[in-house]
Amino acid sequence: MKTTTHNIDIITDLETPDSESINTPNLDLPTSDIELRSPNTIVHMDLDTFFVSCERLLEPKLNGKPVLVGGTSDRGVVSACSYEARQFGVHSAMPMRMARQLCPEAIVIRGNSAIYSKYSDMVTDIIKEESPVYEKSSIDEFYIDITGMDRFHGSYKWATELRQRIMQETHLPISFGMSTSKTVSKVGTGEAKPNGQINVLRGLEKAFLAPLSIKKIPMVGDKTYQKFRSMGIEKIQTVQEMPLELMERVFGKNGVIIWKKANGIDNSPVIPFHERKSISSSLTFEKDTIDVRKLKEILTTMAEKLAFYLRNGDKLTSIVTVTVRYSDFDTRSRQMRIAYTANDHTLIATVMRLFDQLYQRRVMARLVGVRFSGLVGGGYQINLFEDSERTIKLYQAMDKVRNRFGQGAVKRAVTMDTKGVGQMSNPFNGQAPIIPAHRRS
Amino acid sequence: MKFIVSSTVLLKQLQSISGVLNTNNTLPILDNFLFKIADNKLVVSASDLETTMTTEIELTNSDKDGTVAIPARFILDTLKTFADEPLTFTVDESSFGIEMASSNGKFKLTGFNGEEFPRIPSIEKASELEIKSEALGNAINKTLFATGNDELRPVMSGVMFELNEENLTFVSTDAHKLVRYRRLDVQADKASSFIMPKKPLNLLKGILDGSDEMVKVQYNNMNAYFEFNNIQLICRLIDGTYPNYEAVIPKENNNVLTIDRKSLLASVKRVSIFSNKTTHQVRLKISGSELNISAEDLDYSNEAKERLTCQYSGEDIEIGFNSRFLVEMLNNLTSEQVLLKLSEPNRAGLLIPEGGDENEEVLMLVMPVMLNH
Repeated sequence: MKTTTHNIDIITDLETPDSESINTPNLDLPTSDIELRSPNTIVHMDLDTFFVSCERLLEPKLNGKPVLVGGTSDRGVVSACSYEARQFGVHSAMPMRMARQLCPEAIVIRGNSAIYSKYSDMVTDIIKEESPVYEKSSIDEFYIDITGMDRFHGSYKWATELRQRIMQETHLPISFGMSTSKTVSKVGTGEAKPNGQINVLRGLEKAFLAPLSIKKIPMVGDKTYQKFRSMGIEKIQTVQEMPLELMERVFGKNGVIIWKKANGIDNSPVIPFHERKSISSSLTFEKDTIDVRKLKEILTTMAEKLAFYLRNGDKLTSIVTVTVRYSDFDTRSRQMRIAYTANDHTLIATVMRLFDQLYQRRVMARLVGVRFSGLVGGGYQINLFEDSERTIKLYQAMDKVRNRFGQGAVKRAVTMDTKGVGQMSNPFNGQAPIIPAHRRS
Repeated sequence: MKFIVSSTVLLKQLQSISGVLNTNNTLPILDNFLFKIADNKLVVSASDLETTMTTEIELTNSDKDGTVAIPARFILDTLKTFADEPLTFTVDESSFGIEMASSNGKFKLTGFNGEEFPRIPSIEKASELEIKSEALGNAINKTLFATGNDELRPVMSGVMFELNEENLTFVSTDAHKLVRYRRLDVQADKASSFIMPKKPLNLLKGILDGSDEMVKVQYNNMNAYFEFNNIQLICRLIDGTYPNYEAVIPKENNNVLTIDRKSLLASVKRVSIFSNKTTHQVRLKISGSELNISAEDLDYSNEAKERLTCQYSGEDIEIGFNSRFLVEMLNNLTSEQVLLKLSEPNRAGLLIPEGGDENEEVLMLVMPVMLNH
């Protein structure tokens, strides 16, 4: 596959790629169908092989070579791969071991989320400066709502210029899809990639989606795909032609949403601010373990870290969840409601209690995780009898040290040796959590 | 057994003790009033096992002594419908059939054996004290709201009465706020204390009036007994040790704010509408003679700020509180001016009324919330 810039403009033959043509409805479609669709103009921008592109900026020698970013251990999975590597059949979410077998000459990089965040922020800043409303839906994806802009600038021209500016200023390849809804724009970006752009005009969404594989609909994961295939369905067109009732019977509520998306109907708005509903941390071990002490140390580290984020974000939690995945992939979790708090000692004690209740099977564990949900904004209500002034002051002092010298500057002695529990930047800044590609559904 | 009683007199007495009745009792007999005739006196009791209330009515006309349990709902509903008129009760002692005769009608219902009614506890080896009805009512009003609801800490769900040679102190706390109400005009011969549950205090509040009449109090380590205006209340005490409240009241509070209570209350109420709906957090920032009250709810981008002038001596301070606590406390105070005494942003704030009755001493304490920025 070529990585040179090329523009796909499947409907440019209708008219100029921008301005009036967008508002020209296709007369073949029943009008009611069009009314169901939003009159919006949404641009979806996605940085191509983002992690790889970042690495290439730092090390130009990587250009043109197959590159894999992801966990380097046996348990590691590919979180990003270059198009060169994809030719060998490698894709993200694939176990690193398998990827290496498929493509032995690939250069494997551990990855550094801090650097990616930095580049992501650079792109965000440009988009923020240019766009009226944008949503950062992940580290490398953006939705921009430019409804109504057409009258003044020409939406497609505007988006093209924005893309050019991002590429010039950051040297990162980026693609975009423009259409009337988030779904169609996103699918469009997928088609435009790598390094391309596409404009799916109003009224043509259905026709655009029809020949594509149902896998391209966001929301259709492996399981749903298999189900479709077992029904003998491969193209989105088939779904478009299916009665809605049938979809609902087979896939339940989601079936209706999938059917709507397949028909290019999606009214979900571009949300500029992502309210965090929970914060969590989890770790898959390089080797399964039965060492309860180690497990507890890891959980303590997670609880301590998350509690720090809570306090820093002026949040309190009321629901604590602990998850254990055994080596046979049997995954159990347990949760508990507590009085609103952000204090280490309460949260660590709750996590330990839940873990003790949970870890009953004497079986190797593969993953442990902690989640704090039921979040609310505010400070911790100090208790007259249970909290000593010393503990309160201790937390404030620890947080001060961490904010000045880094998150790892002060920690509990038991958590000194634990490794691998990741760090986040401020999780309450309104941005979508950074989820590696292989964990997105 | 037969007696004649005025419908309104009986209703009034029954209503004054009917608060004890629970809607769903484990013991069915507790759905009844116990009527007891002795020496030309009608004694009516109601109980929920924890608390028993008793009232007396002088009768002019009764034939012989005896007891019967009469369904409470039934008789209350019936009595409510009568204008004032004499009612004749006739009770068949073997079947507990009750006949109520008014001037125009006859009403029959079935009662129960009065002997099945739980025995009303008597207080032995009791200590005694007397307190003005008004003072006791005040004490209950000012402390009850600060009691807790935590089932794991039952002692904090009640109000502690602490007596010594100098005064009588009422204390309540839910671990976030605390009230200490002291009466200097009541003394005891020796130091002692007991913890009253919430429900009987609420009932007491209902029967007390703001008069100077004395309430008789007796207590031992199991029960407490209150007598006022023909009504007696006896209740079981909460067993346990009350937390050491004196230790948590900060002694050194060098930052003192003096402010008009009503304007502070109005301000906090107004600003708190804009605070987070769960935490109700407001921020008080005091510098010079200016008090800034602010609140925000990031989820909805709500924000409020208000500035009040006050008298202040101390260092500049910024402290966060749950506004509901402040509102409750300010609402329960009556003075024109209040003092807010603070030491540090992480330590308790004290609300003290300025002036007022020389025989009472009120201290309200509220714990702050941790502010990070």
